[in-house]
Amino acid sequence: MIELEHVTRAYGEGPHQVRALDDISATIAEGEFVVVLGPSGSGKTTLLNIIGALDTPTSGTVRVAGQDITTASRGQLFAVRRRTVSFIFQGFNLFPGLTARENVQFAIDACGRKGGASADEVLESVGLTVQARQFPHQLSGGEQQRVAIARALATGNPVLLADEPTGELDFQTGVRILELLQKQSGPGRAVIVVTHNRQIARAADRVIELSSGRISSDGPPQGGKANVADLYW
Amino acid sequence: MGRRRVGRPTLPTSTGRWSAAGLWLRWSWRDLKARWIQVAAIALVIALGTGSYAGLSSVTKWRRASTDDGYARLNMHDLRVELAQGSTVPEGALLEVARELGGGGVVDQAEERLVVPIQVDASTEERAILVPGSIYGVNVSDSGPGVDGLFVDLGRELTDDDVGKPVALLERHFGKYYDLPPTGTLEISGGQRIDYAGQTLTPEYFLVTTDRGGLIAEANFAALFTSLATAQQLTGREGLVNDLVLTVVPGSDRDALKAELTGLLAVRFPAVGATVTTREEDPAFKIIDADIDGDQQIYDIFAVLIFAGAVVAAFNLIARIVESQRREIGVAMVLGVPPARIAIRPLLVAAEIALLGVVFGVGVGVLLGQAMVSVLKDFSPLPAWHTDFQWGVFFTVGAIGFLFPFLATTWPVWRAVRVPPVQAIQSGYRAARGGGLAPLFRWVRVPGNTFAQVPVRNVVRAPRRSFLTSLGIAAAIAALVAFVGLIDSFLATIDRGEREILSANPDRLEVDLDRPYALDSEVVRVIRESPLVDQVEPQLRLGSVALKDGEDFGLQVQVLALDSTVWAPRLTAGAVDREQQGIYLSELAARNLGVRVGDSLTLRHPRLEATGTFSLVETELTVLGLHQHPFRFVAYMDSNQAGLFNLAGTTNLLEVVPVEGPTRDDMKRALFPLPGVVSAQGVSEVSEVIDDLLSEFVVLLRVIEGALLVLALLIAFNSASINMDERAREHATMFAFGVRVRTVLRMAVVENLILGIMATIAGVVAGWLLLRAIIAIRIPSTLPDLEVIPVISPTTLAISVFLGVLAVALAPLLTVRKLRRMDVPATLKVVE
Repeated sequence: MIELEHVTRAYGEGPHQVRALDDISATIAEGEFVVVLGPSGSGKTTLLNIIGALDTPTSGTVRVAGQDITTASRGQLFAVRRRTVSFIFQGFNLFPGLTARENVQFAIDACGRKGGASADEVLESVGLTVQARQFPHQLSGGEQQRVAIARALATGNPVLLADEPTGELDFQTGVRILELLQKQSGPGRAVIVVTHNRQIARAADRVIELSSGRISSDGPPQGGKANVADLYW
Repeated sequence: MGRRRVGRPTLPTSTGRWSAAGLWLRWSWRDLKARWIQVAAIALVIALGTGSYAGLSSVTKWRRASTDDGYARLNMHDLRVELAQGSTVPEGALLEVARELGGGGVVDQAEERLVVPIQVDASTEERAILVPGSIYGVNVSDSGPGVDGLFVDLGRELTDDDVGKPVALLERHFGKYYDLPPTGTLEISGGQRIDYAGQTLTPEYFLVTTDRGGLIAEANFAALFTSLATAQQLTGREGLVNDLVLTVVPGSDRDALKAELTGLLAVRFPAVGATVTTREEDPAFKIIDADIDGDQQIYDIFAVLIFAGAVVAAFNLIARIVESQRREIGVAMVLGVPPARIAIRPLLVAAEIALLGVVFGVGVGVLLGQAMVSVLKDFSPLPAWHTDFQWGVFFTVGAIGFLFPFLATTWPVWRAVRVPPVQAIQSGYRAARGGGLAPLFRWVRVPGNTFAQVPVRNVVRAPRRSFLTSLGIAAAIAALVAFVGLIDSFLATIDRGEREILSANPDRLEVDLDRPYALDSEVVRVIRESPLVDQVEPQLRLGSVALKDGEDFGLQVQVLALDSTVWAPRLTAGAVDREQQGIYLSELAARNLGVRVGDSLTLRHPRLEATGTFSLVETELTVLGLHQHPFRFVAYMDSNQAGLFNLAGTTNLLEVVPVEGPTRDDMKRALFPLPGVVSAQGVSEVSEVIDDLLSEFVVLLRVIEGALLVLALLIAFNSASINMDERAREHATMFAFGVRVRTVLRMAVVENLILGIMATIAGVVAGWLLLRAIIAIRIPSTLPDLEVIPVISPTTLAISVFLGVLAVALAPLLTVRKLRRMDVPATLKVVE
């Protein structure tokens, strides 16, 4: 579903050049729940942005759902974001002027999806039926993140990208969010979560660990996949 | 172990203080640079406010100084005596009366004149220029006249050598309007030719008015100034005078002297009507004086509106800057920096923006002042224009331009430094602001998907910003509506008068005679029998004064057959009654006198005496009806009542309807040479000339309209730009979901469209109310003879709607580059 071949992303030029990603190659298949792990500055968010067609590599090739986004035009990149990937942000980034339901509906309208689950049904799937008409500032942090997840799910896009989705949340809430994300991987959909939290990585099918822009390890979590309920931080 | 001395922290040294000041300055300068487009927009708004106010206020000072200098330099009269129409007295008689004034010693200078209505033919090869005018016989010895002097703008002065010769000076406004050469030859009544040796300015004609209500009447009135002897010869009034102008010693009570002089004249010439007026009652002086003050009042109003826009824009930006610095303010609080010191940085930004605006404003003010004065110099020539840089005006206006926007920014700064530190340093969703009034509007859904809901919610989500933005734009639109509405209203008034005058036989001419003639006299017979003439309606027109309960003002009473088929006034109240003695007033005159149909008033009017002179008598008359003409002084009586003036069976005004074929100029040329004819004018000429002269101002109006358009656009752009900044993360999120730039822009355009509609409605309503207030307050003092009804033309309305709705709605398009160049990943991470 996602193929990265010798992907490099460099900033600056000459002696001041910094390589956020340095010759990364990896493949992520559908159904996988992948955690990209690494300390600050390791390049994990850059990797997420490139997969999400928000950024383009300096060199190398990226294919998402069969489409080479390295050579895609600006318009094609917008189309990839509408129809292939969906984002969940650390700070939720909900639209404050829209209700929970409208935030979800916004994503449906943005991707132009016809048919499929309605906004209310998606909200129900994340347990937010009652809060559907609340505005973001009227919701707790956990509820806001669930709305953000519902918004991403509502697009029906096959790649779900989450950047530090539990970073703003307390432990209990974070666990519930992680559980929710874990459930989303399955046939036709891959979930990629970027985090610096090793505990979260324990719940993944696969952990890609980055260090200074390079993949330092790629495989199942050490000690095997853990149950979300067993996590702590 | 040695003891370490611990003391109180020392105060910063002066070097330290300067260093700290430098840091704040550098930091605030960086804030400015980070938002330089918005800063420039607000600085321009402030510049437009300060510049236009300072520039226009400078023009007021220049006009005042230049006209005062003109009056002083040409020794304008303090009192003037005019004998009733057609009356004269022997030369020296009026001076004798003047010498008795105040028991002697009060009069500084006095000069007799002879002022006679004439017809002037200044036709050139290209066009026929045949207008009524007056010939002034004055003292030309010793660079005279000594009172109401002549400033020769082109050509040469008159001297003793010109006494008794057909040489005159032509009034400059007339010469300028028709672009006549500096010297030349004219033909006046009776086919007499007279050379003009130059073109001159004089206080009575700093603004050309006529006793028939002509205002800015240079196209329709020519004054000629010649020696007294020449005027007497040309008009057949040897040894006679009918006018006296005098100046009194400083400190004299002009009104008291006027009353005394009136009494002396009544005793000395009981059979001759004489009117005494003070300088303040001179029509040109009165209008110019009131106009300068009135214009300044309007500038004050517009300045308030423009400054309101500037204040709103500055407030919005500083509020935004403070919001974006919220965490930095919080960190400073955590570090123990006192709130007053934290406030320095945003306040410095505000001060720098305001200062920048004021500096730009000086440039705008100088440019605008020069542009205005160049139009005024052309429109209203004076002996000298004093256009020194007005330091006081610029300093005062600059201080206002600095202080108001600056003070407006203290509120958001004060609020920002008062929040608890823990709240200030919060990040992420905890720091997210509420939805404003959005929850109240959750049930309000506009047709369409969520993209259609976003603009409405954004408007209500930041109600203060939306309100202030609308207020700023509304202020600019209100200024535009009021300003252009004034012109609309004035033109509509002229049109109203024109419609009334042209309601029948619009091609007819008014032929003025130099005195009343019998209906079977030669001049009337010749005109009636002219092959060019279809119909002739003999009438009378007589200057009179209406009096009622202490209120009095001049009337031009037109005595005509009210059932005439040539033309008759249309009444709005009352009914024509040809048999009853009474008068028909304009609605404004009735209102000013406090009378209605059926009430009575006193008319002070001329009456022909057996001696052949006119005396002024007072008669009680009933108001029989009100007519539609907007000029207060226009009044009508039926020709059956001409006996009141002892003028039954006579005429001094002929309404002439030409046969089909001849042009207006043909008619003028045919009527001009006839003895006794003073003028022949098409009835529509006055309004045509005013239209013509106003067109000279159109360019200036367009400049001011343009400035107001720029102002509204700047406020709208500023607001759109701030909104784009504030919503950058939302836009980045939309981009992350693949929403196109044009869709985001469309939402911003719709949001501004909503603001624009709100602002336009408010602006048009406020402008309309302002226009009504200006007309209600200003017109009665500046143009008391004109009934101006507030009107906003469809064009003005269309421009306002374009300005307020379309231009404001499209302002976000100016931010398209910023959107397209947005670093989406970085923006998604922005923590505010």
